[in-house]
Formats: sequence, structure tokens, C-alpha cells
Amino acid sequence: MGTINALGREPEEIWPRLLAADQSHVRRRADLVPDCALLVAEIPGPLPEIPPRLKRYACRNNALLMAALQQIEKPIADTIDSVGRSRIAVVIGSSTSGVSDAEAAIRHQHATGVLAEAFYYDQLEFGGASSFVADLLQLDGPAYAISTACSSGARALATARSLLALDVCDAVIAGASDSLCGLTANGFSSLQLVSDEITNPCSVNRNGMTLGEGAAVFLVTRDRGGIQLRGVGESTEAHHMSAPDPDGQGAEHAMRDALNDARLEPAEIAYLNLHGTGTPLNDAMEAAAIDRVFAGAPPCSSTKSLVGHILGGAGAVEAAFCWLMLSERTSGELDLIPHAFDGQLDPALPRLRLVPREGLRVSTGPVMTNSFGFGGNNCTLILEATAP
Amino acid sequence: MIAATVRRWSAWSPGLEDADAWSNWCTAPTELAAEGRPDARFLPAMLRRRCGSLARIMLTAAFDCCEQAELAEVATVFASRHGNINESIDLLDRLAEHQPLSPTAFSHTVHNAQAGLFSIAAANRRASSSIAAQQDSFACGYLEALTLLERDPERPVLLVVGDVPLAPTFAPLVDEPPGAYGLGLLLARDGEGTPLAFGRPPETDEPRLARWPDAIEFLRWYLSGEPGLVLGSARRPWKWQRLQ
Repeated sequence: MGTINALGREPEEIWPRLLAADQSHVRRRADLVPDCALLVAEIPGPLPEIPPRLKRYACRNNALLMAALQQIEKPIADTIDSVGRSRIAVVIGSSTSGVSDAEAAIRHQHATGVLAEAFYYDQLEFGGASSFVADLLQLDGPAYAISTACSSGARALATARSLLALDVCDAVIAGASDSLCGLTANGFSSLQLVSDEITNPCSVNRNGMTLGEGAAVFLVTRDRGGIQLRGVGESTEAHHMSAPDPDGQGAEHAMRDALNDARLEPAEIAYLNLHGTGTPLNDAMEAAAIDRVFAGAPPCSSTKSLVGHILGGAGAVEAAFCWLMLSERTSGELDLIPHAFDGQLDPALPRLRLVPREGLRVSTGPVMTNSFGFGGNNCTLILEATAP
Repeated sequence: MIAATVRRWSAWSPGLEDADAWSNWCTAPTELAAEGRPDARFLPAMLRRRCGSLARIMLTAAFDCCEQAELAEVATVFASRHGNINESIDLLDRLAEHQPLSPTAFSHTVHNAQAGLFSIAAANRRASSSIAAQQDSFACGYLEALTLLERDPERPVLLVVGDVPLAPTFAPLVDEPPGAYGLGLLLARDGEGTPLAFGRPPETDEPRLARWPDAIEFLRWYLSGEPGLVLGSARRPWKWQRLQ
């Protein structure tokens, strides 16, 4: 697994900051929304340079993917040696693709009459992300992008498991990437879903999300041992394009479906990574759904107050956090990621067991992560650590 | 190769609006028209107003492909190379002029907008995916539909593929067969219909030089009765083969 987000550029940097509930990486940016210093969880500093032979894919979104892929170069190379380039698939989730670069190209067009010379359509179209990864690693297996808004990254992992089951390939590079851009910043602002302060999930004072950016990629194989994708649950809502069903029926269905798929009882879940966007509607419907699925809710936290809402990348980055938590287990115990908020739990929400800021250690067990997206598209994953 | 049965199909392109029209077209195929959109009278007026050309085309193919009782029960895959990029480009033009965005317009630019609109119109709460894969969007959509069948083998999967021409700003950057179209395929593990195998062909099979969008090349082959079809690139070819 490789990941990059506002907390850091590799797991060694990210893990301690997750445990410390470090919110110092959320900053204001004045260039995204007119007359607004928007709080965002941005990745500072330079990103890897896309090789000149792949310049038609050169955009921030793909640079984030490349930064994550560089962390797992060695296992990918070993897999290419053992199964061959045509037996490795690529499935990448995104909701922004290279929109930030297209924005610059179009501003250039408005100023000069022509699109910026460095702009290629491959940077903007969703399928460009999966083609970039396949071309970068010179893989010839099936390569495609999944874009189901904020559940894209979770769905990429679900697809990876099915492609292996169908024997279309022997390994999958699966993950997701989303980058900050004017389109999502202005779009979510227009929907009045963005908070003026750092997002405050489950608080009585919550008033919206904080946008973030990042990528996470996994090398998924049929091998036993290590961290396993144990369960996948999915649903749609037939409700509204940009708001969840207030009863949380879609969320409930996705969680139950994942438990059934994993053949697990709710009580066996050791931790739940919330979708937890910090919007009034999301947190209320998610808490209600959790309350119905679990007799006693497992310890929960939202990591969106640390790395922002990475939209199409969120499902993969949050699965990466679960992966890290399981990998870092010591003597059969998990250190859970704290829930960073102002401590004023909304009394109107059904009781949630939020992981306190000082952390919590529990016996190792399967962990769940929720992703709910626009268009009413939901995906819940369950990950588990197994003996090698 | 992976087996699945095509239970039903439907397709829409301007001037080609039912199965007979497509059968006739196949005997002397011509370039697909780029302009025009279906009435989509089955949609409530409120919802229809929010549907652009691509949504109307894809939802028409989707609704025509299902029996009434199936609409709420099938899993779905929506595959499109460009999706709603034309609408996104409109928003990017507004941003370049420092204009505010319409929240409704923004929420309908997500790639899965067609899937979301279908889910609302059909009261469908089943699993749904939306994909894109540049020139390979049809074959990869077909593969994604097979992954949903893998997870829930008893539940048919409705695959809907479609595109409309890119806006003039971006059209010169892309080389592809012209036309606006949508194709729906209702895929199931077995049952009545045409069983097909899908997968990578042997190296001796060369992909067909596509003159129409891949989904429409598939339909031409499907209606022709020929035993096999190879589409895609030399690097990533895909083969469909009749199993009967």
C-alpha cells in the first residue's frame, strides 16, 4: 500500500500524525473560491515529475498517484516478474481527475484564445488516470477508471477483488486519487456544504466539510496472509443527486451487505472509519444507520478532520488508514485513530462510541470503512489482518 | 473466457430509435448522427428537465432494456468515455470568468449522474458502478458488469454505454468515431437469451478496425450472427464469442 495526503508523503510520516490527531496541516487558500480564504487539507511542496514520455497525462492528480505508486515500486516489480505485464489490471477511482490542470488551460484560453499548450484531453478525462498508471508501469491488463463520486476509491478495491475472482488477472493495482481544484471547491461551496472552520464531524456545532486531496494505491493479489479485503457492501439510494436519504437506509444496506459478504456478526467489528463528512445531514443519517446495524456501536472515528474530504480518493485513502492500523498492530492489539473534533457530541445523534483524542487500544479484529457519494452511491469495505 | 447471457438489448441514436431501425441500419450502416435526443416521456417532468442529452439517451436505452418489474431490481453499470465533461467545461468557463456555479449544475456533472438519475427514476437501490476507460470504455464497462455478476450471480446487471460528441473546445483533441448513441445490455449468468464468452483473444486474432463506437460495433456483430468479435487495441484486445 502506498499513500500520500495532507498528513504526509509516506506511511511512516502519516501514521504517527493520525494517532496524534494532528490537524496542523489544514490551511487557508485564497485562490480557489472568489472572495474566500477556504480551509483545505492540501499537500504542500513538490510532487514527482511525470516522465516526458507521459506528458499527455501530466496533471496534479496523476502526480499524486505516482507519489503513492513509488512507495510500492519493489513489490510491483516483483509481481511483474512473477505473473507478467498482461496479467496485472489497473483500477483507479477519481472524481476530479485532472480538472485543476484543465482549469488553468481554460483560463489560458479565455486570456489568449487558445488552450494552454501543455494541456491534453487525457489529463481531464477519467480514463486518463488508469491509462497513466498502466503506461507508467507498462502493464497490459485491463485498465479502467471508476467514478462514482465519493465512493469511487472504495469501489476500485471491490472491483479488484472481483477481477481476481474472475481470473481476468493475477494482480490488480487498485486505488484512487483526487486533487484540490476550483470546480469542487466552488461546487461544494455553492451547495453550502463547506465549513468555515475545520470540519467538526458528529459535533453539535458541525456545519460542513473541509476539502482535501490525496491518493492511495494497493497491490491486490490472491495471496493469503497480510491484510485481506474481507467484505464489500454496496447500495444506491434512489433519493437525491447531492443529499443522502435522511433515514440512512442506503448506508445501512451497504454496511449490512458488507457484513453478510464477510460472514461476520456486527459485534465482531473492532473499529469503524466513518464517512463522517461533518455535514449535518451526513452525520445524522450515518449515526442512525450505525445505530440500527450495531446493537452496540464499535469505536468510530472520522479522519476527515485530519486530511479533509478527499472525495473520489476518500474511500481508498481511508481504506489505507485501516490497512495501516492493522499493519501497526502489536501483540494482538490495535491502536485506533482518534476522532478529532471539538468534543461536543451532538446529543440529537444516536449514541456513537467515538475514539477519544488520547486514543484507544482494542483487541485486533476486522475493521470497517464507509464511503457514501453523490448520486446516492454507497460502498462499505471490511479489512482484516490475518496470520501470514 | 467469462460466460454471461445477453437477455435483452436496446439502443438509441438520433433517427435509430427501435430494434427494427437498428436491424435495417446494420444492412447498410452509415455514420451516426451527432445531434438529437429522445423524448424520454417515461421520466417525470421534474426529472426530465434535469437530464441533458446524454442522460436522456442513456436512460432511454436503460428503460427500454428492462421489463417494468426489473427496473428496480437490476444492478447497473454506466460506462461512458466523456460522461458529463461538456457540462463540466461549461462550469470551468464560468470559473474562468469568476462567475458563481449553480449547485444543481455542479451536482449533475459527476460521472455517475446518469446512474443517480436512473436510480431515482427507476426507484432502484441496487449496486451501481460508473466507469470510463478512454477508447476501451465499452469493453471495460462490459468487464465491470461481469464483476457485479461475480459478486451477486443471481441478480442481472444492466450495462448502459453511451456518449455524445465533445464540446468544440475539446473535440479537436480527440480522434474517435462520430455520433451520439446509447446501448443497453441486460446481462445475466444464464437463462433465456444469447450466451457469450468474453475475454482476451489468442494472439492470432486481430482487433476489428472500428468505424463506429465500440458499443455499436458490438451491436452490429451481435445482430449479424457471426461467431466472434475482437475489439480494442493490439495491446489490449477483447473478444466476444457466441457459445451456442
